[in-house]
Amino acid sequence: MARSYNEIKFRIFEFFPLLLLLFISLNGSSVFDLKFFSINIHYILVYYWVLRQPDSLGYGFIFLAGIITDVVFGLPLGVNSLSLLIIAGVAAYVRVVTVRITLINDWISFIPALLIGNFIYFLALYFSNYQVDYLFLFKNSVFTLVFYPILWGIFSILLNFMKQ
Amino acid sequence: METSRDDVGIAIRSALLAKGTKQRFSLFVLVIVSTTLIFLESLEVKPLNYFRSFIKDIIYRGSQAVSVPSTSFNNFNNFIKSHLNLYDEHTELKKDYENLKNNVSKSDFLELENTQLRKLIDEQASSTFNFISARIMLDKQSMYLNSFIINVGSNKGIKNGMAVLHGENFIGRIVDVNFFSSRVLLISDLNSKIPVITEPSAYHAILSGHGGKEPTLEYLPENYNIEDGEKVYTSGKEGIFSPGIPIGEVKIEDGIINVMLFSNLDQITFVNVKIEDFDNK
Repeated sequence: MARSYNEIKFRIFEFFPLLLLLFISLNGSSVFDLKFFSINIHYILVYYWVLRQPDSLGYGFIFLAGIITDVVFGLPLGVNSLSLLIIAGVAAYVRVVTVRITLINDWISFIPALLIGNFIYFLALYFSNYQVDYLFLFKNSVFTLVFYPILWGIFSILLNFMKQ
Repeated sequence: METSRDDVGIAIRSALLAKGTKQRFSLFVLVIVSTTLIFLESLEVKPLNYFRSFIKDIIYRGSQAVSVPSTSFNNFNNFIKSHLNLYDEHTELKKDYENLKNNVSKSDFLELENTQLRKLIDEQASSTFNFISARIMLDKQSMYLNSFIINVGSNKGIKNGMAVLHGENFIGRIVDVNFFSSRVLLISDLNSKIPVITEPSAYHAILSGHGGKEPTLEYLPENYNIEDGEKVYTSGKEGIFSPGIPIGEVKIEDGIINVMLFSNLDQITFVNVKIEDFDNK
């Protein structure tokens, strides 16, 4: 009985990252933007779950979330998908080469993921003749990196609860 | 050395090509698909456009449905704010009313003078445009696009480049048309460049958006002399928009000529799309 309860709990919470990913894409809140403060929640979400629980977040859904974000934000189709998939790719690589799970490891390896993801984003927009606000991109990257441990903590609590 | 290089190769292959137990697609394939989509975006082929319109219409409806709670919350928030500011607003309106009352006689005289002058030059005032009213479906500001989605599209004859007005004020132009929806690029956007004219100094300039609330005037002639409070209108120079649509008034700050828009872009629910004799332009 207890085992089946845990299984049900796991199955329900297994969908949480997927639902959150699709919700923030459709709601257009993947980039949390205040006056001096901007965080890309999409990047953190994709990076964390591909790194820690890849079965909860399929690549196909990440691609779909990117397409939805592009449509909602009015960007050329494929721009967000590509940058999210690149983030997922770096996370998958880090998962293969690391053994110990620590915040510091994750945080440091998130830096190249963020740099590559944003670089791809910038390139795609640049070649699509979109003007790029470099200051905003820089600000967004810095705050996304700074904010990573907070979401890491929240997601870790959820993941531990799922796996109990 | 060789072994470590092999290890890196294996790790990259495993990350990009291996599908994993529950993955249906490999990362590599999806990256290729995304890149192809970006390249296809620059192609203007009819079947592709239809496909894009179809996808966008579906996603806009989905997004509208998902945004209901946050939109309701924002509306409620605005409702509370407007009640809290009621007294200030009342005082402001009273002041405006007094000013308007004083200006009525002046405006009557100007109208009369205008009619007489029109008669004098035998001008035939004709209007070749009409308006289509639309409701804002989605208002999601992105990093790079200050825009919103309206609920009319090619089904109502909307075309790219048409001027969008809030009341009588110019607020943006159509940049993307689907079957049942269109995207309006606001004048505050980084990609927006509108030819304008100032009044009374009559300088031609370009109104450039910067992502903030107030766009700036650029490409003014040398030795210009513009003062605070001058009105800014579309000049009609590019041949798409009609001339004389009001936009805002000049506000000079630290040598930068900002334009305070007549319409508050955050408080718009309905807009008018100006349907002109577009094909002949």
